[in-house]
Amino acid sequence: MLRAMLRDLRAHLGRVAMTLAAIVLGVAFVVATWVVSDSAAATVSSGSSRTDLGALVRAKPTGPADAEISADVLDRLARLPGVTRAEGVRAGYAALVGASGKIGTTSWAKTAGTDWDDSQRFALIDGRGPQRAGEVALEQQAAAEAGLSVGDSARVLLGGDRSDTATVVGVFSYRATGWGFDPAVVYDADTATRLLRDPDATPTAEPGFAQVELSGPDERAVVAAVEADLGAGYWIDSGSELREQRAKDAAADGDVIRKALLAFAAVALMAGVFVIANTFTMLVTQRTRQFALLRAVGARRRQVRRAVLTEAVVLGLVGSTVGVAFGVGLGLLAMRLLPVVGDVAYVVSPWAVLLGYAVGVVVTMVAAYGSARRAARVSPMAALRTDAAVPRRSLVLRSVLGLLAVAAGAAMVAVTSPEDLTEPKRMLAMAGAVLAWVGVLLTAPILVSAVLGPLTRLLRAPRPVTRIALRNAVRDPRRTAATSSALMIGLSLVCAFATVGQTLSADITEQVRSTVPENAVVLRAAAFGYLDDTARAAATAAPGVTALAAPRSGGVEVISARGSSQDTEFTSLDPAAVGSAIRPRVLAGGSDLRRGVLLAERVATALGVQPGDQVRLRFPVIGEAGKAAPVEVPATVAGVHEGSDLLRGQLIDDALVPAGVYRQGDSMYAVGADASTLRGALEKAFASRPDVLVQDRDELLDDLLEPYQLVLGLVYVLLGAAVVIAVFGVVNTLALSVLERTRELGVFRALGASRALVRRTVRRESVVISLYGGVLGIAVGVLLGGVMQYVILANPVFGMSVPWLTALVALAGMGLVGVLAALWPARRAARADILAAIATE
Amino acid sequence: MTNFDAAVSAEDLTKRYGSGDAQVTALDTVTVAFGRGELTAIMGPSGSGKSTLMHCLAGLDTPTAGRVWLDGSRHGDADRVELSGLRDDALTALRRDRMGFVFQAFNLLPTLTAWENITLPLDLAGRRPDQAFADTVIDAVGLRDRLHHRPAQLSGGQQQRVACARALISRPDVVFADEPTGALDSRAGAEVLGFLRRSVDELAQTVVMVTHDPVAASYADRVLFLADGKIVDELREPSADRVLDRIRSLESVARGARTAVGAGA
Repeated sequence: MLRAMLRDLRAHLGRVAMTLAAIVLGVAFVVATWVVSDSAAATVSSGSSRTDLGALVRAKPTGPADAEISADVLDRLARLPGVTRAEGVRAGYAALVGASGKIGTTSWAKTAGTDWDDSQRFALIDGRGPQRAGEVALEQQAAAEAGLSVGDSARVLLGGDRSDTATVVGVFSYRATGWGFDPAVVYDADTATRLLRDPDATPTAEPGFAQVELSGPDERAVVAAVEADLGAGYWIDSGSELREQRAKDAAADGDVIRKALLAFAAVALMAGVFVIANTFTMLVTQRTRQFALLRAVGARRRQVRRAVLTEAVVLGLVGSTVGVAFGVGLGLLAMRLLPVVGDVAYVVSPWAVLLGYAVGVVVTMVAAYGSARRAARVSPMAALRTDAAVPRRSLVLRSVLGLLAVAAGAAMVAVTSPEDLTEPKRMLAMAGAVLAWVGVLLTAPILVSAVLGPLTRLLRAPRPVTRIALRNAVRDPRRTAATSSALMIGLSLVCAFATVGQTLSADITEQVRSTVPENAVVLRAAAFGYLDDTARAAATAAPGVTALAAPRSGGVEVISARGSSQDTEFTSLDPAAVGSAIRPRVLAGGSDLRRGVLLAERVATALGVQPGDQVRLRFPVIGEAGKAAPVEVPATVAGVHEGSDLLRGQLIDDALVPAGVYRQGDSMYAVGADASTLRGALEKAFASRPDVLVQDRDELLDDLLEPYQLVLGLVYVLLGAAVVIAVFGVVNTLALSVLERTRELGVFRALGASRALVRRTVRRESVVISLYGGVLGIAVGVLLGGVMQYVILANPVFGMSVPWLTALVALAGMGLVGVLAALWPARRAARADILAAIATE
Repeated sequence: MTNFDAAVSAEDLTKRYGSGDAQVTALDTVTVAFGRGELTAIMGPSGSGKSTLMHCLAGLDTPTAGRVWLDGSRHGDADRVELSGLRDDALTALRRDRMGFVFQAFNLLPTLTAWENITLPLDLAGRRPDQAFADTVIDAVGLRDRLHHRPAQLSGGQQQRVACARALISRPDVVFADEPTGALDSRAGAEVLGFLRRSVDELAQTVVMVTHDPVAASYADRVLFLADGKIVDELREPSADRVLDRIRSLESVARGARTAVGAGA
């Protein structure tokens, strides 16, 4: 009996091809995830780890500045017993100036320089190490971003507003130790000593080293000797500790990647379950008489059920085998594309392979289980009937469960409120959203009838094509629902993320537009740095500046008259600039900083303070010896403002901040009579400052939004796998329903439907199914996104911004999917032989 | 061939399946014409080629040799069309506009209502039904209260009457009926046959019907008997008894022929 079933399966390979595709894609995703995360971890811990390091010595800082190790100490370390090599490593600020004349925008531009040595720190990729003044070697990625290669002339920005121009002699990649810095620029030792020290910051002391690397034949002896010699003022890490730490960090990073990717793989597999389940339903339906015959000749129910499940296992195994191979290839390909230091370690662990098989087989069996049970319930009598049908459970239970889930989910969201969104309530709301999402999947079949049914009546189309296509789509609501559900899964998540992204973007845009005047020129520190006094002075002195806001932030404790306090941030600026160069969003009171402090809404609420009340501001002060007594300043609350990323925390007058309070700012906003003249003047004033970007408001906005767009792009790509699987599902459904309708199509053709008309009918059915899935996915996705942004931002649920463009593109995409998915089934349908179709047996 | 006005005619129609030793001749140089406004029944034992003949006449099957004309009664002589050599789309349009079909079963599209099924050929041609004529047809088949039902909600006889109404709605040159009563009980069968008869008498419709039931054949104006791919006999104004007698004699001839062949071997 089993052999009969398996033979049957082989005979219908075409029919199961799409199921296989769904399994293969899902399994490949999982396996590739495993291979990439394992390989990435292994690459970091093996290929880019150093084996020549016995111990790393760093001085513990005593003040705010980094501590250095003096040349005397280095000498002493070099002479210790067991130490064969002692290398002092110099480090300082050094950033590569790009083609734009600036050192990078929002990207994580590397801003460190060091000196060349022949240790494993550097892996040369091109050229050689720098040997004399006027030569420089560049880190691979930094060089690529600046568009520089060996032979070019590179401009390097150094600390203390100096810069240097040198010829690029080499390109390298850097092996970090887990501690320390990530250099972009490397000079020879003498030039590094000269250039990397900021003469303004540390004018006095003799040049020292950021860290000292020691090696020796016995690592433990080296460490012991150093510990005995140096004592408490230093950190000493052994080479093997560093390697272990690095391996551990890499494994943890790999795990984070793995978990994130697996979440997407799970979504893809979920779509796969729908596709596989649907195919099995149809395969079983087609063979009803065969099952009845088996039952009639004495097969027990269990045997029939097991036969179908065995079929699933075989399919699962075949699909998994292809999927594992495909996944390993995909993983290795991904590793090649990743920027990796040194040799790439490819790791295909047995776990990856086993997991791939387990996922493929289990998913297929789970998906096929319902069909197997139904097949077993076929009565032997069905063999005698020509119109035998597989018994199906009614949709009532499923629909009721689904509606309950939707209602419960909505209720769970509704009981929370944006005013009081605690962590457990966020979880509750999110769980509610997911529950409702699952509920929609369950109610999908009755939704098909409820939505497409009236549509067929509404569209009293004169053309029979649309009418027949629509009717065919509603004919088996369960099948259409399963097909479009698979589409909906991927699509709804795409739309949910798009909604969150759109809402975040809209929030940020609103924040920036309301805070920064349209004609303001924005000066920003590049590469996540800070602006210094020189930059502030230059901006103030620039011609045409009528007002300049140079907000700087630091920590402060706000204490109310009743004694309750909040540990928070302050942002200080020139009161004259408030309202002209920058506009805080004032919620209560006024915005005149000369009258007092502007509290952030959150702090004012927490302290129960209103405009006119008195508060005390307690600033931490960093003294000479590291710590000093905090300074308290009394202040009147002038107003309350809605905090933003541009103006964080409590806004106070620059003059109110006591000396010695640490504060830093990364942006300035200037306004003048004419925006373009002003911009020209500021660009000129900062032409020699590659670390300061001159932008207008829109450019600032683009920079702020860019990271979100990158993340969203990645999410879309990863969710794409689920959508692709669902497309295979549409093809499958159509192909099988065309097969089922052979007779009907024959009559249709005999009555005068041309081949083109038949093709059009099938295509339109496909488009109807796809668009239905699309509309459902988009609607559900936007609602899900509404809850997600509510949970994240505490905006009202329906306060989300609908990503119209994404929705439109998705809908158009679904239409296209419908057309493409129908290509092959429509051809088959049009080729149907009329005589074979209408002939009675 | 010219002594009466033909709706469909065929000349030297031959259909062979397979090749070499396995070759089967289903139709052997059949020349035949079907009179306009007549109900013609084609009879014959299984494998006599009666269905093949009809399929070839209707352009559903391609003959190996010979020619078929659709003579175009309502469209004038200019509409006389030869089927052989027409491309699929032209044949399709011809079937849609100038032929009607009633099959043994599976006649209707399950997703369309009775009314939509009836008007499907017109829909496909992009034409609106002539309401008065549609009323006539619908009343004749007695389906007025069933028009908005789906096929699954109709009995077998009702389904077949819907199929008949559909075959007539476009006022075709000819209606082909392939065992229209084969799947029906005798009462429902009689209803369908009565309707086909009336369509000939009252609407001057031409009907070609393949059947193996002598009672069904007795509704015809003329019965053609097919055996081994040839027309072997013809009967005008048949009664069921006369048809039966003729079949018996044909069968005995066939048996005798076979016995003679056996004896000769």
